[in-house]
Order: sequence, then structure tokens, then C-alpha cells
Amino acid sequence: MTKRSDDIFLNPVGQSVPRIDGRGFVTGETKYTFDMKLPGMLVGKMLRSPHAHAKILSIDTSKAEKLPGVKAIITSKDTLGVKFGSNEFFFPQTADQQALEDDKVRYIGDELGAVAAIDEETADNALNLIDVKYEILPAVFDAVEAMKPGAPQIHEARNNIALILPTNFGNIERALKESDYVREDTFYLPSAAHTCMEPHVCIGQFETSSNSLTLWLSTQAPFKVRETLAKCLKMDLSDVRVIKLATGGGFGGKLEMLPMDFAACLLSKKAGGVPVKICYSREEEFSFSRRKHPMVYKLKSGVKKDGTLMAITGEIIADGGAYCSYGPTVLAAAMMRIFMVYKIANFRVTGYRVYTNNPISGAIRGFGGVQSGFAVESHMDMLAEGIGMDPVTFRLKNITGPNMTVTNKMIITSNGLKECIEKATAACDWAKKYGKQKHLKKGLGLGIAADVMGSKMYKSHESAGSVIKIEEDGSIHFFTGAADTGQGSNTALSQIAAQELGISYNRIKITAADTAITPFDTGSFASRVTFISGNATKLAAADAKRQILEIIAKEKNIDVQHLDIQAEQVVNTQTNAPLMTFDKAVELCYSFNYGTQIIGRGSYNPTTTPVDFRTGEGNVSASYGFEAQIAEVEVNTDTGHVKILKMWDAHDVGKAINPQSVKGQIEGSLFMGIGYTLWENLQFEEGRVINPNFANYRMARSVNACPVESILVETNDPQGPFGAKGMGEAALLPTAAAIANAIYDAVGVRIKDLPITPEKVLKALKEKI
Amino acid sequence: MTRLRINNKMYDIELKGHETLLEVLRETLGFTGTKTACTEAECGACTVLVNGKAILSCITLAIEVAGSEILTIEGLSKGEELHPIQQAFLDKGAVQCGFCAPGFILSAKALLDKNPEPSLDEIKRSLDGHVCRCGGYLKIFDAIQAAGEQLKNND
Repeated sequence: MTKRSDDIFLNPVGQSVPRIDGRGFVTGETKYTFDMKLPGMLVGKMLRSPHAHAKILSIDTSKAEKLPGVKAIITSKDTLGVKFGSNEFFFPQTADQQALEDDKVRYIGDELGAVAAIDEETADNALNLIDVKYEILPAVFDAVEAMKPGAPQIHEARNNIALILPTNFGNIERALKESDYVREDTFYLPSAAHTCMEPHVCIGQFETSSNSLTLWLSTQAPFKVRETLAKCLKMDLSDVRVIKLATGGGFGGKLEMLPMDFAACLLSKKAGGVPVKICYSREEEFSFSRRKHPMVYKLKSGVKKDGTLMAITGEIIADGGAYCSYGPTVLAAAMMRIFMVYKIANFRVTGYRVYTNNPISGAIRGFGGVQSGFAVESHMDMLAEGIGMDPVTFRLKNITGPNMTVTNKMIITSNGLKECIEKATAACDWAKKYGKQKHLKKGLGLGIAADVMGSKMYKSHESAGSVIKIEEDGSIHFFTGAADTGQGSNTALSQIAAQELGISYNRIKITAADTAITPFDTGSFASRVTFISGNATKLAAADAKRQILEIIAKEKNIDVQHLDIQAEQVVNTQTNAPLMTFDKAVELCYSFNYGTQIIGRGSYNPTTTPVDFRTGEGNVSASYGFEAQIAEVEVNTDTGHVKILKMWDAHDVGKAINPQSVKGQIEGSLFMGIGYTLWENLQFEEGRVINPNFANYRMARSVNACPVESILVETNDPQGPFGAKGMGEAALLPTAAAIANAIYDAVGVRIKDLPITPEKVLKALKEKI
Repeated sequence: MTRLRINNKMYDIELKGHETLLEVLRETLGFTGTKTACTEAECGACTVLVNGKAILSCITLAIEVAGSEILTIEGLSKGEELHPIQQAFLDKGAVQCGFCAPGFILSAKALLDKNPEPSLDEIKRSLDGHVCRCGGYLKIFDAIQAAGEQLKNND
């Protein structure tokens, strides 16, 4: 990058500096794992079950082994039979999957082997030559059916219920009795796919002489994958190296080890150490990666005439598919988000995560908050209507505020929700428009949401580390384990590093992430990176700066307390006099007399209280982000077609480190949310995905992109780096409800199951007459 | 031997006959800037320009474009100097994960070469075949409009 001395580079926090890695993306130079080729590389393919539920009787690979060009075949016999899960620290029973299953298959696509061959055609032919004998078992594809006595037993869990998360606060019966209006609603949420542009892809290479392996991976969480690989292969963490290259999207789908990652490494070992690449096709991506939990929300709540929300009760049933994956966290997050948004003393909601013979449900942007957002925010509008109250007034009366401990003991510090609602409603002219455009078949709808900035629901700690190395010429190497999958964390973290060090953003070169080189980082999820990795980075930069200033202090005989680096100058803060340039200061550190390596380190682990999952009590995150979103729609009553005219998103981001990136995240979340509201629906027949391609799985495209007005609310979080909080997911949570509420305002029909298709709108319009 | 003209250079290649342009670009010649997210003509990531027209390289046989002028993302910038569309994508924050960006940029070039002042509606329609899952559509529109402006001023 050309060196520029513009102010935005000197004080980069709060500035829309260009992406630190942007050039390679627009020139095509950036290498993704998808693009990587290594000498002698083989093609790997997974052997999958064609049955939704079956016993594996035998696997005969002898014919396939004789096929010329086949270099390795693995089945469960080659594994150590270790079971893994993604939430096993808090929920040990949810470690329920083997990299290659040995006794049973539980969904169409379940992995029971893999082959490595010289090319794709040979690998496919080899798969066809493997003879697997099954005993087909009865299967169940609906979560409610699966819970009934006598349903096919998928794992050992009673009634196929992998997990129950209960909550029970206050006195529900009394609160409902004291309510002036009580209503019950049921909402249905379908499955959806991540559809990262870069599919799941990995290259595994085993080195026999050192008994170590390297996995090049498209991932959001290299350290999480390392942990699971090491566990399944019974290797030391330091012998497993996961290298994250540029990653073409993640959205929650690339947060954990998939059997393909394990298989690529084991195939390489069996093939004598040649690298093995496994790359999903788009069909595999839709069918066999991870998917959104379909959920049913049954809610019953009560309000007083004055708008006081008295009680929320109900149950959530989540179709978890064949294995647990991140299911426990998804379910917990779906429930806990309600507490962050509403002051509610009486709360009793029970969540069930249920095994079925569908593909595995897991994490996807929003972690259950999207399903929760639609159900709860639609329900709130209906409650407000029941007492004849404007939904904005109703929200303002019941929302949480700053510096409060909510019912389940979550501790909210900064909270700009009120300001978000006020700013969004002012921007869209709510007072003038709401309820007054029915003659035009236009309407406005509001949804609000909150999101966690990292949460200790994954493992014992939630830490991130950063290292900043100042080179002899003053250029800077910054190492972080945080994984940029497109959200711009490489840029935001570099901005934080530069700001804290007091030097130009252009000096920084970033390496992220490589488990052998960069410090540990839990990964890119739960909107945690800006907040947690950002804090670690700020600490590392402060540490490097302190080391430089200590040398200057010695040289100039000034108390180090009175020295700082600002805009590339070492200054005496008492006199404001510049003492020397940053370059000169570094020269001094590496001079004959001092010869001191400047290596700053930072480690950050947010302060939270462990959650008791038997009660739902605890503080999952050190900070919470908030937002209000409004949709304006136009409904064609002849066709049922819903057109989104505009969306407003007022977002409490603490502090926008890079406003352009923040707006990019808001817009991206919103369009994903619009897709889920109007079209996206991963469909199944007897456990088989029937729309595994872009033609039949419709998402928002350019022609659907409506105008978006993003309003950034900066509450300056006391624990955030420069006041920043995370925000990569929240803008997706209230979108569906905002649109559904707007449709109701426009034409008076209430759709409670997504996606909101023209057929459903037309049917509802007809039923209304 | 088949002669392909890519980014103003000649490449003589032994074709088996059924290889797609995408395969030849990525696998044979190493132009990995051209991506694909589906190989089914549904995502636009494999877009390259053939005689100035945006085509999907995943459903184009390499043999079909022998003798044509092929432009991939690698051929767009002049050394260190980015093409105005590339620069605008950076300046406007139109790139998130970057995987779809080469396809969008080349489609934008085909559009702006014909019409440097497209309306928002024309831009939206011209990009309908592309998927950006990070959802940066609005910033992509901004970038294309800004690049059009720049290209017009350069003329």
C-alpha cells in the first residue's frame, strides 16, 4: 500500500479506512483454500449414507482398493472412535458424533468413510465400488413426532430430546391473572442454509517423521478445529497446525471440524503423507454441511392495559437433526436474547432440542436469535394491538436500559436501545405513517433485538491473544488468531492496533490466522471479534508502546509516565513537546546500546458469570449490542407480493471502529434477513434436501436490494476497545418481524410462518374477508 | 493445440475437447482469480469477459472461445494501478469476503463499457445473475456508479 499521511491513517479508529487486505480481493490475487494446489495433491471424497437411519452391517472396500489411481481408503476401522461435539465443555452428553460412524448412520449424508485418489473421477468411481450393507431402521423427520413415546430412537437420549433448557422466573400464574390481556401464538420457522460463496474446503497433510499434521482450511475458527482434530486423532495441540487462508464467508457454517477435515488428514497419513484436498460441491454444501434449526415457538404472554409486560411463557422445539453440533448454544441464545431486550420479571420458557433423522442443525448467523426475533417481536406487536397501544410506545415502556441486572442475572452496562428506537422511528416518520397508509396498502413495522458480544457458552474461557512485533525499520507485524471471513476484522483490529500505538495504519502488516504462529483465539462467532480480540489487540499495542517508551525515558531521562506516542511522534505529555519521530524511537530501541526486541503481547478474557443451564441464570457476555429495525413495505393484494420499500436500522455499536465496514455488516445482515423472511427455505423430503442449488434455494439478489438507512448509535461501552461492541449478527435478528409487522400494518394480515410467500399472504387476505 | 488469447497474451493448450473455460483458466493456467460457487450457471462468480461481453466460464467450453479476446480479473489492472472499477470497489467498501468480487467487477466492466452512466435499475438488473452472500449489494451499486463517473471523466 502506498504510504499516505492523511489524518484518517494516523488516527484510524472511527475512520472508514480501506480494507487492509482489500487489493488482493479486487485483483484476484488473494488465495483461498479453494485455489490452493500442493505438489502431489490427491482428491478426497466422502463416503455417505444414502439412508436416513440404518445400522451399518459391513463395509467392503476391497474392490475400490484395487482401482488404479486410488491411494487411500478410510473407514471407522482406521479411527480411534472418539466422539466429538461443539458444546461438550458445558454439555458433555452432546459429544455425539464420530468423524466416521461405525455402528449406525443417522441422516442422509452421514459419513462412514472416505477415499483419496489421483482425480475426482477416480475418487467417485472408488466410492461406487465400496459395498456397504445396511439394515434400514425406521426414521423420524419431525421434531414433535420424534418426542412422542415409541418414536424411532436415534441416540440414547430419552424421547430423542438431546437437551432441555428450562427457565422459570417470578410467579407466572399470578402475573397472567393480573394481566388485562393474554394471548397465545405459535410461530413456525423453517431451515435455511449458510450458502457461503466459498464452499467447505480443506487440504490435509500428515508428516510421518514428526508425527504432525497441517490442515489448510476455509474456516471461522482455526483453533476450535485444531482442538477437535487433536481430540479425535489423540495428538498434541502443537502437532496439529491449522492454517486459515482467505475465507469466502462463514456465517456460522465454518465454526467446527467437519468429518471431511478429519478425513483429509487421515487419508494423507494413510497415503504416505501426500496432501489430500476435499472440496464440497454446492449440492454437498446445501445437503451435508450444517443448517439452521427449524423451530416451533409456542408463546403465551400477558400485558396490563397500561402496557406493562407481565409474563412471557411458552416452549421452543428445535429440530436438531442427527447430531448436536452447536445446538445447545443455539437454543440457549434463542431464549436468553429475550431477557436482554425486555424487562420481564415473570418468565417461563422451556427449550427442547430434539434429534431427528434430518441433516445436522448447527450455528448460523444469529445463533437462534433470528428464529427468536421473528416469534417474539411478532408476538409483542400482537400484544400491543390487543391493548390498543402503539407498538413503539409499548416497546419503550418495556425495554431494558443501561446499567441494569436483568431477571436472569445478565449484567447490561451500555445500552442504547431507547435511542435506537427513537432514532429509527424519527427517521422513518413513524408518527405520521404508522397505521395511516392502509389505503395505499403500505405499512411500517418495528422489530428490536439484542446480541451478545462473545459468550462463555463454548468453553471454559473465551480469550483472545494478540502479538505486535515492531521490526527494526519501524514496520509492524501484527499477529492475531481472529479469523476474518469477510466481516473485516483484519482491518478493524489493525485500526485498533495503530490507534493505540499512535502510528499510521499503513505501517501494519497482519498475519491471521495460523495455529502454529498466531496466539489463540476462540474464533469468529457471537459477534465477539471486535470486542474480545479488539481488547487483546489494544493491550498488545499498549504493551509494545510501553516497551518503546521505557527506552526513550531512559535515554531522555524523563519519567515514562509523561511519554506517549501520538500521530507518529513521541511526545512529552507534560509539555506537549514532540521529542522524536516513531522511526527514530524504533531506531533507538534497536541501537548498539539498547538492542531491545519490541514485542507486545495482549490477552483478554471477558468478565462474565457462568450460566447455570438448569435455570438460565448467569451473565453470558461482558457487553451487549442493541438495535431497532423498521421495514416499510407495499403489499400487492391481487398477487400477495410483498415489496420492501426501505429498511431503517438504528444500531448501538458502542463505537464504530470503521463506519463503512459497520454499515456493510448491517446491510449484509439485513439482506440475509430479508431472504429468510421472504424466500429462503431449505426443504426436505424424508430427510433429503430437495432444493440443493441456487436455482431452487432463493436468496436476496441485486434486484431485491432495497434502500437501507443505517443509523449508528455510539454508547461508548465501558469495556469495549475504544468503546466498541460487536455487531455482525444483530441486524439479522429483527428483520423478519419488522417485515411481518409492516405487512400487518399495510393489509391487516398476520403471517406466523416463514417464509412469507405471496401464496400465504393471498390466503390470509382471503380468510380475512 | 488450441490458441487462447487471455489478458492480451497467447496460450497454446492441448484441449481434451470437453473442458470448460473455467477449468482451463483455473486448473491448467492458474488464473485462480476466476471463482465458482456452483458450476451450474447460477452464481456469477465465474464471470469473465469474452470480446467485452460478460459470460459464465463454467458453462462455456474453452474450445468455443478460441480466437476470442478473453479478459479475466488478473488482466484488469495496469501493474500497480488498479482499474477504476477495482479502486471504486475498495473505496466504497463493496468487498467483504471477496469471493464474488471478480465476477461482479467484470460484469460491471461489461456494463460500464457500454453505458458509463447506468441508472440504479440498470445496474441492479445487470447484476441479477450474481450472488453476494455477504450482502454488499448496495455498496457494489455505489462502486459501479462511482467508477462510471471516473471512467467518463477519464475519457
